[in-house]
Amino acid sequence: MASNRFFTGLLLTLAIIATFFAGLFAQDLSREEIVKLVYPGTSVKSEYVFLTKDQQLQAAEQSGVDVPSALIARYLASKNDEIVGTAYIDTHIVRTKKETLLIALNTAGEVLHIEVTAFLEPREYLAPDAWLRQYEGRVLNADLAIHRAIRPIAGGTLTAHATNEAVRRVLAIDEILKEN
Amino acid sequence: MSLIIVNKDFSFMCLPFNKPLFYSIFSALVICLLYATPVNAQENKTEPEENTTTTEDLERQIAILAEEIEQIRSGETEEELTETESRALGVAPSASKVYGREERGVSIAGYGEVLLENYAANNQSGVGGGAASKFDALRAIIYTGYRFNDKIVFNSEIEIEHAKEAYLEFAYVDYNLTDNFTLRGGLLLIPLGLVNEFHEPNVFIGAKRPDTEQAIIPSTWRENGGGVLGNFGPVSFRAYVVNGMNGQKFASKGLRGGRQKGGKALAGDMAFAGRLDVTPTPGVFAGVGIYRGGSDQGQVKDNNGNEISMGTTIVEVHGQAQFRGLDLRGLFAHASVDNAGAASTALGLSSGKPIADELRGGYFQVGYNLLSQVNSPIASLMPYVRLEKVDTQYRVPTGFTRDLSRDGTYKTIGIELKPINNVALKAEYAVITNAANSGRNQFNINLGYAF
Repeated sequence: MASNRFFTGLLLTLAIIATFFAGLFAQDLSREEIVKLVYPGTSVKSEYVFLTKDQQLQAAEQSGVDVPSALIARYLASKNDEIVGTAYIDTHIVRTKKETLLIALNTAGEVLHIEVTAFLEPREYLAPDAWLRQYEGRVLNADLAIHRAIRPIAGGTLTAHATNEAVRRVLAIDEILKEN
Repeated sequence: MSLIIVNKDFSFMCLPFNKPLFYSIFSALVICLLYATPVNAQENKTEPEENTTTTEDLERQIAILAEEIEQIRSGETEEELTETESRALGVAPSASKVYGREERGVSIAGYGEVLLENYAANNQSGVGGGAASKFDALRAIIYTGYRFNDKIVFNSEIEIEHAKEAYLEFAYVDYNLTDNFTLRGGLLLIPLGLVNEFHEPNVFIGAKRPDTEQAIIPSTWRENGGGVLGNFGPVSFRAYVVNGMNGQKFASKGLRGGRQKGGKALAGDMAFAGRLDVTPTPGVFAGVGIYRGGSDQGQVKDNNGNEISMGTTIVEVHGQAQFRGLDLRGLFAHASVDNAGAASTALGLSSGKPIADELRGGYFQVGYNLLSQVNSPIASLMPYVRLEKVDTQYRVPTGFTRDLSRDGTYKTIGIELKPINNVALKAEYAVITNAANSGRNQFNINLGYAF
């Protein structure tokens, strides 16, 4: 009987402690919230762009990777009616399942931040934040490649290549859309 | 020549003709047309419905469609519970299907495994007489769950073992107080070890579950009770109060017989069962599990009719790291039974096969998915090795001798093929020895599935 009282007391204590801490941890952020964090103090507008056939081909040529869809989703961040950055959404296959990245660029066409918004492969293949930070400040050039400017992910070859291709694709699309 | 006929709807048909017939029909046709023309003209006078769809509307509609298509394409809405999230709920991936439901309704999932066990002709001393090979439809189960609302979820596992024995493996109701804190009650899986809660064949490595998690943590171990579970950042926990074990069924081979499995369970002695895990990064976690409770249930008495307290404690530490193809798992479990000597005497156990004061077991296993770094339609091809030592007679009461056949060592090498993540075919060879020199090697094949 005494032991039963002990267990009940222990359970209640745990419940009280757990309740105290409940809700302290933030939920996943939406795309808009991520964009607002990347471009603080801006207003954000989502936009869907349809690339022309020529633009699609040009983007593939400039990036050196496939541009499989002409439908481009992006978020424009503006301050005082002036665009200060554009964040693109890129969905691709890593091994057999999808990954979606939000790739935020500044107006100079440099990567500001990359956020993984969907990753359907096993989580252990997810690129670590520290690895993604390698892309900050990068522009589209021949050096933007795994084993060149970008270190590989140990045991995450497919994630690394899929991510690098996505960044190259987005940088090329951004350049082309700015030209037009 | 042919005859053109205007149908009722003024469509035309061509037929062979003769002249008299043609003229008469032509006349009739003209009359019809004369009558028809004003009606037709009248119909034509009706103004076409004004097209109010503007370019702006079309642009808006295209934008809406583009948004919908892009959202579907992104996979952001497809994300299911991760293995870490499922683990924090205390159930394996398929068993957590009901938690993936966002609206009221039923969920159905399941798993099963068929096991072929083939024993060596001679044991480690060269003595023959091994058991006959067995091919067993070991388990076939259906998970059924129901989400009543955002807060309340029912989940259950109904199992048929060996193609004929039906069991309720768990059946509980969750009340979700917050996103990361839940109350749970019902028939619960005891939250110890790496296998007991996560016993789907595509989750654990090996054709057979580790012996430690059968003899000392007697998976699949379930008892009636209630408790709390939750997760806070990288930390998850479960803490339950359940009915204690039935110590009358303890034996030299371990605690497995003491499970009450939820059926008319003796509840004179209750127990606490809990675990705490830390997941520093996805795929990697380590933790500890504790069970402490009475097991005599007022049924084990000495010659004077006095109750013999059989307080039972199990402490285990475990760790698992699944990192980009590499899979490492390890567990150590220690158990003790109070007054094991008196209880063994009261239960009439022989002096060479007593309930032990202390039991110990542990294993370490490593596997590597050879296909993890290449684009392959095959989910996994993983060779693995498991080293295990289990001693359910680690320390026996004074006046008793150890049953040396229960001090075993298992060295297992195998390979697991997963054509998809839900189906696993495993083949392994286990070199089994024990302190009584009666160990017998074993070859096993397991075909498992989960959905």
